[in-house]
Amino acid sequence: MSEAAVVGLLVATVQFATLVYLAGLGELIAERSGVLNLGVEGMMAMGAVSGFMMALATDRPWIGFAFAALVGMAVAGIHALVSVVMGAGQVVSGLAITIGGLGFAAFIGQDAVRERADAVFTDLGIAGLADIRWVGPILFNQPPVVYLAGFLGIAAWFVLNRTRLGLALRAVGESASTTDSVGHSVTLLRSGAVLIGGAFAGAAGAFLSLYMAAGWTEGLIAGRGWIAVALVIFGAWRPGRLAAGSLLFGFTLALQPRVQTFDLELFGLEVNTISPALLGILPFLLTVVVLIAISFRARHRPSPAPAALTLPYRREER
Amino acid sequence: MTDPGAAPEPTHAPLHTVSRGRARWHRGLVRPVLQRRADVVPAAQAVAFVIGIVVALIAGALLLLAAGNDPAQVYGRMVDSSLGGINSISRTLLRATPLALAGLAVAVAGSMGLWNIGAEGQMMAGATVAAGFAMSAGDLPGPLLIVMMLIAGAVGGVILMVGPALARAYLGVSEIITTLMLVEVSIRVVEWLETGPWKDPESQGFALIEPLPDQASLPGLFGRAHIGALFAVALLVAFWLAVSRTAWGYELRMAGSSPATARYAGISLQRKVLAALLLSGGLAGLAGAIELTGTATRLDPGLSNGYGFAGIIVAALALMRPSGVAAVAFVFGAVQVGGQSIQTLGVTSSIATILQAMILIGALVAAVLLNYRVRWVRPVGHPAAEIAPPAGLAPGGAPPSGSSSNPEASGV
Repeated sequence: MSEAAVVGLLVATVQFATLVYLAGLGELIAERSGVLNLGVEGMMAMGAVSGFMMALATDRPWIGFAFAALVGMAVAGIHALVSVVMGAGQVVSGLAITIGGLGFAAFIGQDAVRERADAVFTDLGIAGLADIRWVGPILFNQPPVVYLAGFLGIAAWFVLNRTRLGLALRAVGESASTTDSVGHSVTLLRSGAVLIGGAFAGAAGAFLSLYMAAGWTEGLIAGRGWIAVALVIFGAWRPGRLAAGSLLFGFTLALQPRVQTFDLELFGLEVNTISPALLGILPFLLTVVVLIAISFRARHRPSPAPAALTLPYRREER
Repeated sequence: MTDPGAAPEPTHAPLHTVSRGRARWHRGLVRPVLQRRADVVPAAQAVAFVIGIVVALIAGALLLLAAGNDPAQVYGRMVDSSLGGINSISRTLLRATPLALAGLAVAVAGSMGLWNIGAEGQMMAGATVAAGFAMSAGDLPGPLLIVMMLIAGAVGGVILMVGPALARAYLGVSEIITTLMLVEVSIRVVEWLETGPWKDPESQGFALIEPLPDQASLPGLFGRAHIGALFAVALLVAFWLAVSRTAWGYELRMAGSSPATARYAGISLQRKVLAALLLSGGLAGLAGAIELTGTATRLDPGLSNGYGFAGIIVAALALMRPSGVAAVAFVFGAVQVGGQSIQTLGVTSSIATILQAMILIGALVAAVLLNYRVRWVRPVGHPAAEIAPPAGLAPGGAPPSGSSSNPEASGV
């Protein structure tokens, strides 16, 4: 296996990790407030198509990216309205958004299919560092969204764990009635978390269409939204572990299209005989394993899952 | 879930506790409060479904207008192709069948408050095991082969559900996520079979699974429909009987609505959870096998075609009731057939997907508004704060009519 192949794999790992980290971080924020958002896949699709079309129209990837975040937020607004304000089922509302979002994205993106955007993100190439062997291309010659995602992760950690707002947000995910009784608005906190989550999902979608794929097609998201949902569990609802998990999931995603070109033998196994489809199973199976492990451990310590996750709250019915 | 037969809930205006600390940023806002109506709207969910359809049609028309299409023409073609004539109806039934079966699978789990989000995956697993059986026993006579394939399909669905069901029953692991994760797993397993172990030697460069034996196709009903539609109806009736007329069904519902009561009554919750989830998985697997034998010539990763996910929406709209599942599945089948037909007008079939999602969102909102009143309240202490009427005197607080029945409205 050549050095270029290994570097290419790791560069792609960081990019796929960024993709699922952005979406996963949004899902994490929503879930910490007690709202399961199964609409990520649809929000990513909406972000991808609208960001791509906006970048086509304005010739500026950042405008497309920001627009995608707004669109993701608007789509999340539906989820917030139905599942938080109205208190209807989160699971069904989220699924409807995934199904409807994928359909809507396909509908508005008809003309954008196969259009090549010139206005895509370019690699930053940080002066002096990008030329270092191995580390340079992997860490210092990435598109700006990669660094933005890192910054957002730290910001999310800070807000969640070091501010009163974060405390209220985590509290509302554990017990809405308690949080309500100390005077916080459950509706505002949860809706806000869902909206932020939608913005992150939309932005993640735009990273896909404005950099990784540099274009829009109907099946572009291809289950990456579900990976984000899985990632939140794998990362035990914490931004830091989420980052570690996203590198692992990102690695499997980056490996899939490449594995059969690798001329390498590991423990007597020809790597290029591994099926990409079976590799793609890994994140989902690992998540199931982690869920079961968490429940075993929960006999000794509290579960990391927000206690009020998926429970709607109506003050009048508590 | 509230029992409609019980006395009306106390209708205090909610008291805002004025907070200390910094959480005052929303003080003074007039805000809407949802208050459960004491008077039950008859057939609220059916009304909500119709409202959802209307909302979806209006939204879809606006979309079509924006895209430069004539909504009347598009909708006309959709209705004509799905309901206008016996052939059109057979096409609608062809699509409604997997929707109803998947919806039923979800409803079985849902009637005890569990979410089988993985019906899509169990359909795939069922179709896979059924196809595997057909490949290894391809020289059986047709009827026997088909029956065995359907059984194999149910087994496949159960296999995929065993893990989530055991984890839910004995470890309390949420079935929502585990079943969802296995969807992606099962689809990728089929992709793997397609590229390797089950690859058709005659497909050369294409990744295709070996075709099914000729005799492995379900007999037709009329037009395009196959007898799977009859299976769906029979199973829906059986489910209705089991849930509403047997002790087993009563215990199932009780275990879902009031686990504590069920425990006191000596019902094993764990066994009920296992039974409901495994049955749900088996039904979804059967749906996959029926779809395989009814419509396909070979297994492929697109076979489940979103029916499993749509089935969740079907079951939710039907409030997990069999009659509702049949009705909603038929409407969704028609929408899907209509979506296919408008492609000849140059409109993408994605409009059908949008309509289905909009129906659900519209119906969810409508169901809440039908079952709740929206009141605008100001926080206590505000000059214009609403004064709490004594319980029972609130407007709309009429005593409930004991006979009206609409237990789970808004329970989605």
